[in-house]
Amino acid sequence: MKENTQKKIFNFLVKSGIKNFVGVPDSTMKHFIKEGITKKKIIFTTREEEAIGICTGMSLSGEPSLVFMQNAGFANSLSTITSLVELYKIPLILLIGWRGFLKNDAPEHEKIGKIQPQLIKSLDISSRILNDKNWKKNCEWAIKKNSQGKLCALIMKRDFID
Amino acid sequence: MIRKKAMEQIVNSIGNEIIISANGYVSRDLFNVNDKEKNFYMIGSMGLASSIGLGLAIKNPKKRIFIFDGDGNILMNLGSLTTIGSIKPKNLVHVVFDNSSHESTGGQPTNSNLIKIDEIAKKCNYVNVYLVKSNIELKKILLRIKKNNGPIMILIKIKKGGNIGNRISIKPEKIKERFMKTLR
Repeated sequence: MKENTQKKIFNFLVKSGIKNFVGVPDSTMKHFIKEGITKKKIIFTTREEEAIGICTGMSLSGEPSLVFMQNAGFANSLSTITSLVELYKIPLILLIGWRGFLKNDAPEHEKIGKIQPQLIKSLDISSRILNDKNWKKNCEWAIKKNSQGKLCALIMKRDFID
Repeated sequence: MIRKKAMEQIVNSIGNEIIISANGYVSRDLFNVNDKEKNFYMIGSMGLASSIGLGLAIKNPKKRIFIFDGDGNILMNLGSLTTIGSIKPKNLVHVVFDNSSHESTGGQPTNSNLIKIDEIAKKCNYVNVYLVKSNIELKKILLRIKKNNGPIMILIKIKKGGNIGNRISIKPEKIKERFMKTLR
């Protein structure tokens, strides 16, 4: 996804009332994260579950919150999602970088990239895949879900090889 | 000293404060000792009481946030100490009930007696760290923390045992709803 789109996404989410951005870095969304650092609105954690825990505390305090992570970190977080976020109905937006989307991505991402859509589906998380054209509509969708007290995910495809 | 005794002493001293309690026997004891709306009982998600507490502490700087943790729980999420120590919330009080075991799953040992959780906390920028081994010491520390800033850690060495309290009978969503009302 284009650098400019990623920046626009960050700023759009802030403008739309998302107060907290907590997570573990992912190169797929590095421009999104950089914009957040510039605006002093990012908290980095050591693991993705920790980020979900912190955002849960923020959400309990009444603030719309987003957790960003790579899909490897999403896999780390499955138990936290089922036994905390879904069990207590905590409304979070998950922004997940999709490594392994391209067939020739690095080998460690191959399997998880392949099963990611099924994983998200198995957990009953509604999700939308962002691109340079639909990002605004899909961010609006996520914000609406969040305001309805629901968990949802936005997916950012890794569409480049470095 | 067993966990339940230490917990009774703490809740009597701190009064009606916000408490996030770790899953397993920590939450069950708190529920049985002093159930109240300002308690957020974690049922699953082992390790994350300190993270939820951090999120709350950041967003509620004028309220004290108590975390009731266990040694197994904090060892599962040691990274949390580094994040707490980087942000240094003054209103965060991290109580760790340390019986060197996973008592909730049958008393299997943890490694907490082979390492020093209190020293790790100090190196992670907790500004007041106390190691407590008796009720008398705990009484003193509970008075002292009334005036001290956080992040505070009270590591309480306890023994296994005591009657196991009832499971939490409140539905998770209800725990959340009543807890959130107290923050408004």
